[in-house]
Amino acid sequence: MDKTRKISKFLDPKLLASLSAMEIKARTVVEGMVEGLHKSPFKGFNVEFAEYRQYVPGDPLKDIDWKVYARTDKFYIKEHEEETNLSGYMAIDASASMSYRGAGSMNKLEYASTLAASISYLMLKQQDSVGLITFADGLRKIIRPRTGMAHLKAICNELEATSASDKTNIGESLDLVGQSMKKRGIFILFSDLMDNADTVIAKLRHLRSRRHEIVLFHVLDRDEIAFPFDDTTMFQDLEDRSEIVTDAFSLRNEYLKRFRQLVGTFRSALRKSGIDYLVADTSMPFETSLRSFFTRRQAASVR
Amino acid sequence: MSLSFASPWFLIGLLSVAVPIYLHLYHRKTPIRKEFPSLRLIRLSVEFVARRRRMKNLLLLFLRLLLVIFLIMALARPFIGQSASAGASSSTPAAFVVLLDNSMSMGASHQGISLFNTARSRALEILDQMQSGDKATVGLLNDPGQLLFPQLTWDRDALKKSLANARLSMAGTSIYSSLLPALKLLVPLQTYRRAIYVVTDMTETSWKPLIEKYKLSEVDKGIDLIMVPVGGAAPENMAVTGLEIAAPVVMSGRKVPLRVKIANYANRVRNARLVISINGERKIEKEFELAPDSEKQSEIELNFSKVGMNSLSASVQADSLAFDNERFLAVRVFEPCRLLAIKPESAPGQIENREDLFLKFALNPLNRSKENNFTVESRSAAEAANLDPQRYAAVFVINQRSLPPELIKRLSSYLLEGGNLLWFLGDKVDPDWYNRHLIDDRGGEYLLPARIFKRVGNAVSKSVAYQMTDLDFGHPAFALFSRDGNGDPGRASVFEFFQVRPNPAALLLSRMSHGLPGIVEEKRGQGRSMLVTFNADTSWSDWPLKPTWLPFLHQALISMVTARDLNPGSVRPGMPVAATLNRTQAKKITMRLPDQKEVSVSTSENGSGLLHFTSRETDQPGYYQLLADDKLITAFAVNPPPEESRLDRINLREIPRFIPLKTEVGKGHGVREKVSVLRDGYDLGRMALWLLILVMLAECWFANRKSSNRVEA
Repeated sequence: MDKTRKISKFLDPKLLASLSAMEIKARTVVEGMVEGLHKSPFKGFNVEFAEYRQYVPGDPLKDIDWKVYARTDKFYIKEHEEETNLSGYMAIDASASMSYRGAGSMNKLEYASTLAASISYLMLKQQDSVGLITFADGLRKIIRPRTGMAHLKAICNELEATSASDKTNIGESLDLVGQSMKKRGIFILFSDLMDNADTVIAKLRHLRSRRHEIVLFHVLDRDEIAFPFDDTTMFQDLEDRSEIVTDAFSLRNEYLKRFRQLVGTFRSALRKSGIDYLVADTSMPFETSLRSFFTRRQAASVR
Repeated sequence: MSLSFASPWFLIGLLSVAVPIYLHLYHRKTPIRKEFPSLRLIRLSVEFVARRRRMKNLLLLFLRLLLVIFLIMALARPFIGQSASAGASSSTPAAFVVLLDNSMSMGASHQGISLFNTARSRALEILDQMQSGDKATVGLLNDPGQLLFPQLTWDRDALKKSLANARLSMAGTSIYSSLLPALKLLVPLQTYRRAIYVVTDMTETSWKPLIEKYKLSEVDKGIDLIMVPVGGAAPENMAVTGLEIAAPVVMSGRKVPLRVKIANYANRVRNARLVISINGERKIEKEFELAPDSEKQSEIELNFSKVGMNSLSASVQADSLAFDNERFLAVRVFEPCRLLAIKPESAPGQIENREDLFLKFALNPLNRSKENNFTVESRSAAEAANLDPQRYAAVFVINQRSLPPELIKRLSSYLLEGGNLLWFLGDKVDPDWYNRHLIDDRGGEYLLPARIFKRVGNAVSKSVAYQMTDLDFGHPAFALFSRDGNGDPGRASVFEFFQVRPNPAALLLSRMSHGLPGIVEEKRGQGRSMLVTFNADTSWSDWPLKPTWLPFLHQALISMVTARDLNPGSVRPGMPVAATLNRTQAKKITMRLPDQKEVSVSTSENGSGLLHFTSRETDQPGYYQLLADDKLITAFAVNPPPEESRLDRINLREIPRFIPLKTEVGKGHGVREKVSVLRDGYDLGRMALWLLILVMLAECWFANRKSSNRVEA
């Protein structure tokens, strides 16, 4: 734990201590080179029983279950599932809109970075490999997945070095991410999704079709969720710097209606595609967001 | 509609409506600057909300303008009203006229109360609204209408007393004759709030003539014409609307046709039981079925036995308007008429003079001695001098050279007391003697209607034939010939006649073809004297041979015989009745009213020994008798106007300029309140105050919907 405190401002020891018992499991089978927690498409030696099958010549004799032979007088081979390690990508939206800070202590980018660092820590701790992608108008930086706690330092450094700027272009960025992901693994996206919803959904579906497991953290400030403005306000867009003057009070109902529609659209469309969609409210403690993530993962692994 | 304000200076405050308008147009809050991740959702929402918000802002502006306006109105206290006087200051004195309908139709009852009593109460209530400084007068609408006070007065008590004493009349309605003097009184009073209130049952028959003949829309706009209807819908009414004898003369013992008209002014079939009475004795009873809203005429044969004046009445059963259920007629019944023809005396040894021959043939064609209307007795002048002319309905004087003085005296008296003289001139007539003895020497009791001059034409050579022209078809003697097919007396040829000059009071009934008078008549006392300028036989004309000779004589005689009566059956209630009497008859002249009460009649005397009297004591419908020294001279009947029986109400909208002031007993405001509202208008100040409060609440709710609209996300 002491090591983490030194690594990054995004890693809170207390938080990590409370989550230490958690395991990040892949919901689907993933390919890995190191034995780990996750199911592999390859069967072999392991303690996890898979199935019985009849002996065929060529099979190693050590695999014959002699107890079954004693009962049935037939040769059966007892097969075990092979476990592998998980390869994960943390994708952080670093567009200008992620720099928004409402009444909370950190902006959306910082919140997303904290979540990403925490999840990376937990994955590396369980021998999984973790990589990092930052993007805005296009890809900014890619750190390839690696195992070992030493890799955490590199990820945290990159997160600290990342600043929010430029417009959002999630579609193009996701295309590039797909091309760079060689192995099937878990892809965790942190974004406020300030892009065309249909494009975002289409690109995520495309990524999912390549058997990557995808988790989407929709990072939102409390101001975006509740729109708590009453006065005549000149709103300025953080990305294109455009302005609009309006009576915020009279606008609220309509805004909230449209906001709920947008979130509903993401939730229903992504769920149908097997993509986990989580709203990360920056006014909530990280623990709450992470716990909802872990709860979702555990539920997935039971299934 | 007119508008006035109790405190008009507060209206200056209306300028303050500019404040909310200025705030709406120019006042904008300085916006708070705020960065936001993305304006995408905000932009979409703004497009949607902007239109609604604009509407809301406009509505708020409207409400705030209303707030200001209602506040100013509540302070300025506006009064609004239909009347012209509502626009004037409430301190302006009023001048008004209350016209009360007391015509016969007001005798109907509505919900058990006489319409007239209801109307009178309404009129008194209107007078109660008279304030100090106001002046008014009252009038009645019965025909002929009249103002009870010819000038406007401040004395309210006197006005109320005169209305309280007003009685229901049996006459018709004449709105015009009351309205006109009322308008004349009010038109000059420009500084007053002026009004005329007409309290009436709004019958169509009384209002239609006013609307058609008088341009109500041109009445001074400053005068409010207000109608106060009473009585509601028209009640069902049945009436005897006509009663007449269809014969020129009624002879005793001879059947005469009686025409009776019965009207059913109801929307359903009704049965009428008609009762005909003569001198109070029921003679005929008959049942009729009357179609809805129709009038039925029935002809009944009737026989009079009593000679002289008879009272005839026709009645149906009583209904809501009782006064028109009976109708009266005064009928003079004659004995078969005896006529005296004074013909020239026959010379001894010569054949009997036959100049009366054509008269006799014409008046008694079948030469019957019984059941004949006319019986002609021919006498010489000397014989006639010993006879009492009063026994004869008419006396013919045919081609006389002269008349005995005794006969002249008798004829003079006879004429003034109602006798009828017909003079025929012939070759024996001496104009000088006629002019001297029958006109000049008689003074005021002259007998001839014209002075006689020379003879014109030649009956021997018959070289020139004259025709009668310019016949007076208005005279009963010639009225018959006005219709085609009844002959033309002008076709008769007159070869010789006397040139005459009619007296100033004489009527010229015909001229000869070159313009000289042909037949002249003059009313003398109660009788008539008719002069024919040629003879009654064929010596001077061939008229006695023409078919028009007989009807002329009959009609002339009938008109003379019946002329003494006072327009029987045609007198309307309240109309004056006039008659002329011989002074010798008139020591004490009285009139017996239908209720058998006798009233004395005042008379005036002219120089010719005749008495004239006029009476207005004809308010009651019924049979009136005129008595001289308790002896019946003549009689007449008074009947209500038949049009007054039609009780259909006029549509109030058809009456221009009149503002209806409807009141119903026990419902809504009374007449006092309504008159007050009409005169002063409605006080809108209180309403403005309530509206102010309502608009204020609406504005508060609308402007502060924030809390109810807050969404907790």
